[in-house]
Amino acid sequence: MTEYEAIIGLETHIQLNTETKIFCGCKADSWDDAPNTNICPVCSGLPGSLPAPNRAVVEKAVRLAHAMNADIQTESYFDRKNYFYPDLPKGYQITQYDKSIARGGHMDVPMPDGSTRRVGIHKLHMEEDAGKTRNEKGRRLIDFNRCGVPLIEMVTGPDIRSADEAAEYLIRLRQLLRWLDISEADMEKAHLRADANVSIRVKGETVFNTKTEIKNVNSIEGVRAAVEKEIARQIQAYESGEKIEAWTLDWDENTQTLRKMRSKETEADYRYFKEPDLLAVHLDEEWLSGLLADFPELPLARRLRFIEQYGLPEYDANILTSERSLSDYFEAAVAAYGGDAKRVSNWMMNDVLKLLNERGLEAGALKLTAEGLADIIKLVDANTVNTPTGKSLIEKAHDSGKTPQEIVESEGLAQVSDDSAIRDIARQVIAANPDNVEKYRGGKDSLIGWFVGQVMRESGGKADPNMTRAVLEELLKG
Amino acid sequence: MADEKITPELFAHLVELAALELGPEEGEYIRKQLNNQLKAIEELVQVPLDPTTLPASHGVPYTPAISAELREDLHNPFPHPEAILKGAPKTEDGHFVVPDIPHEDLK
Amino acid sequence: MTELCDLSAAELAARIRNGEARAVDALDSALARVAAVDGRPGTLDPGDLTADDQAKVHAFITLTVERARAQAEAVDKKLAQGEIPGPLAGVPFTVKDIFVVEGTPSTASSRMLANFVAPYTATPVARMEAAGAVMLGKVNLDEFTYGSSNESSAFQPHPRNPWDTSRVVGGSSGGSAAAVAAGEGALSLGTDTAGSIRQPAAFCGVVGVKPTYGRVSRYGLIAFGSSLDCPGPLARDVTDAALMLNAIAGPDARDATAVTVPVPDYTAGIEDGVKGLRIGLSPDFFKLTYYNHESSEMEERPLPDDILAAVMQAADKLSDAGARIVENVPMPHTRYGIPAYFVISRVEAASNLHRFDGVKYGYRTADKVDDLRAMYRKTRGEAFGPQPKLRILMGMYVSAAQYSEQYYQQALKVRSLIRGDFDSVFDASGEHKLDALLTPTTPTTAFPIGDVYGDSVLMQYADQLTVTADHAGIPGLSLPGGLDAGGLPIGIQLLGPDFSEASLFRIARTYERETETAAWRSARPKVLG
Ligand SMILES: [Zn+2]
Repeated sequence: MTEYEAIIGLETHIQLNTETKIFCGCKADSWDDAPNTNICPVCSGLPGSLPAPNRAVVEKAVRLAHAMNADIQTESYFDRKNYFYPDLPKGYQITQYDKSIARGGHMDVPMPDGSTRRVGIHKLHMEEDAGKTRNEKGRRLIDFNRCGVPLIEMVTGPDIRSADEAAEYLIRLRQLLRWLDISEADMEKAHLRADANVSIRVKGETVFNTKTEIKNVNSIEGVRAAVEKEIARQIQAYESGEKIEAWTLDWDENTQTLRKMRSKETEADYRYFKEPDLLAVHLDEEWLSGLLADFPELPLARRLRFIEQYGLPEYDANILTSERSLSDYFEAAVAAYGGDAKRVSNWMMNDVLKLLNERGLEAGALKLTAEGLADIIKLVDANTVNTPTGKSLIEKAHDSGKTPQEIVESEGLAQVSDDSAIRDIARQVIAANPDNVEKYRGGKDSLIGWFVGQVMRESGGKADPNMTRAVLEELLKG
Repeated sequence: MADEKITPELFAHLVELAALELGPEEGEYIRKQLNNQLKAIEELVQVPLDPTTLPASHGVPYTPAISAELREDLHNPFPHPEAILKGAPKTEDGHFVVPDIPHEDLK
Repeated sequence: MTELCDLSAAELAARIRNGEARAVDALDSALARVAAVDGRPGTLDPGDLTADDQAKVHAFITLTVERARAQAEAVDKKLAQGEIPGPLAGVPFTVKDIFVVEGTPSTASSRMLANFVAPYTATPVARMEAAGAVMLGKVNLDEFTYGSSNESSAFQPHPRNPWDTSRVVGGSSGGSAAAVAAGEGALSLGTDTAGSIRQPAAFCGVVGVKPTYGRVSRYGLIAFGSSLDCPGPLARDVTDAALMLNAIAGPDARDATAVTVPVPDYTAGIEDGVKGLRIGLSPDFFKLTYYNHESSEMEERPLPDDILAAVMQAADKLSDAGARIVENVPMPHTRYGIPAYFVISRVEAASNLHRFDGVKYGYRTADKVDDLRAMYRKTRGEAFGPQPKLRILMGMYVSAAQYSEQYYQQALKVRSLIRGDFDSVFDASGEHKLDALLTPTTPTTAFPIGDVYGDSVLMQYADQLTVTADHAGIPGLSLPGGLDAGGLPIGIQLLGPDFSEASLFRIARTYERETETAAWRSARPKVLG
């Protein structure tokens, strides 16, 4: 049986999470706004208006380019891409064409099977978004709120070999974008859009066959499913001798099917030329080095380091590096704790993440500091509080904003490990339950657990369970 | 004319690309003018160029010293966006409205 | 007694400031002059031209009387309250209708924008008003600035030359030049892309300044050639032009190409004379080049005698005043100015006109169309006149992927050579070390209406002596330099290095002073009787 491999390239459009649009002072994010309320003369293309480029867009592009191992160009230009479309108010899109802010680059994407795929970056440039249009009863309604929202277009080489790899790339890209605070990267809100170019070939061949382009996919799972479908379709077509044509395909999320889109009328000539309303983007040494000076460790590097430095299982390292503030929190907690990192990881994975998920928070928003978490673990280690009390301190510290020690003190939660105090309570419990004392002494050893529970309850959960047990055993012996 | 660069066929293509519609007389006048202009433009092709001559996007060389800083990322809303919509030939429900692009049926 | 509307802006502002006249008086005087000489304003459906029409100036498309009165009253009120008004307080000015002004029709003299009321105001207009100047209205131009005679305006009757109403005003800032010449506002805000301020200034006997590119913000200027367009002043004398440039120049956060170079006071030192300045004369500006359709050759013609004589006379006067005149300065790429401009400006114009599609503002075809593409074609076909269509189609052609290298990139390189000509003669350590070049502004004086219009190549060559400054970005100034044998104004031009406006003003003012008593100085436009 012939084996095939897929050749996949992804074209992504990344909406930057700046405050304002790329060329005007309108808000970048108008998700909840009524149509055409977040517009101005610039982004609605009024005669006479001119673009005023947003510094933050350049800075985010530089940071992304650096993260993608691309060559940052100290001089880059904006160009006009001319075409008529009702969502494009100026009749041209301001984009970067032949001298964009970055050249080359790659991302090494770890795959679930442990292998790594190096995905090359062919294009990385800044541009403005277009508006939204929708059809209604033979008319087209246009909203310009999204016009001028800053985008980075990033195109990979034909380096991806399966639907799963495509999904992994997008997962890692999304993680990176959030990590670097470049984009919210929410595909449902179109912060991250991905079109996939797909072709197949017989494994071992080096030719590139005709590819199709899949558009309008708005989730990573959608990309996985659509690419999978398209690979299967192409293999079937190939085997039945049909010609694969350069179609543009539309993904329908509801029916999970691909549909052929209308073919383009003519070969487009966008008549690109340098945007005369803008100057070269000049990245001087000082600006550039300032931007890259405090460049954070990236998630994949940190993941590896967590495995190596802390001896964490890959599973833990993956989760603890899924989001930047979580991984920062973990490291700070490990440093403050000073002991076994895996013990901190367990507390993070079981208890801290539980609270974050329940509350819909990121670690950065926790009022319990990483040092506070380390203190809790230490309190438990030192038997100052028992484990359930320790766990309850996480939520209490977050809700109150107090340190764990303050809570332990003010609520008197310190574990009772004073022999005489436990002895007193134990005596009372024994005196109040002659029946069970009788049964225990008659050989029903398992009742010791019940006695411990009673003492714990009477002590308000503060009694050291091990000491309680020992005291009870001694007293019950009679 | 044999040396016409912009033939009627090419002209029709340009008119289509430019989203224009011209009457026959107007079209012929414009086409003739374009061909005349092109003859003047041909002068350029004769200009001897040093390979080091770079294209000038602007005449004034924009050194960093005279160039404006990029805009800071601060929200500065336009005071009356509704006035923009008000100028539109056709609106509905806060939207600009245009005729649809007719669909082709696909199998 | 001189009417207020015939005073210079400087004199008028001084009188208003010291209480000799009120701003509303200045406004009324200008409005009275408009009523006397302007005739009916340009409209889309003018009907036949009457004999009376042919004797009038027709500078205006829109008079903004209410706005002007409110502004004038505000100036008077400020003065009454002892506040110090702006340097142009109470001075009436006009605005070429290529700038948007909030709440005012902003037409670009095109059917496409005939009904467009702008929701914002252009930076240079806002700066004039901030300086206390009073906007009288919007004046006519070639459609979208595409022309050198104003005949292409969709708003007819088009402006007619106040010196001889059978002749053109020049263009594209023709309404501006005509209004200033006729006393309909002391100042006007124009734009220059190939000579559109200087050429009509020359034809109408006024001062016109194309500042260095980026010196004045383009925000709110409906774009033609974005890398070339320069807003600038038209005025009756040099000092007024300097005062106006003071008001409008400077950086603007809304225009990324507006430079951060500090703005000097252009009136300071304007009387200091030219002693020690080096002023060049170039033979390349004393010959004219035309394309001969018959022979398919470029043809050289001499400059008309009257114009050459005016330039030489100016050189003599400046020499008498202490300037060093440097002759035989080579400017070898001057002749390529128009061919390169045919390419660069068209590429930019075609792109800039993309936005006029009937979707957002302005004209949309009245035909019932249910296909978007048909709506585009009909809208643009019906609302653009022949000049925009020509520019769009040429722009599409020379920037098409397969021709771009041959034409567009080549033109941009030729622009570098043109810039290089200026750089080398202005180079302080070069052979010529010029402070300025002295040239004629135009190949001819104002030509008769109908003589050139229709021949788009010949019309474009009307800008052959001005266009190289636009390519190079350098400042240029045209000022009256006498009258030709027919009594029509001749313009002489000064060109200087980047941001040398102050020294151009100084040279121009020196020439003005040296010729104060010349006979031609007392001549007045015929429409003023
Ligand atoms: Zn905006």
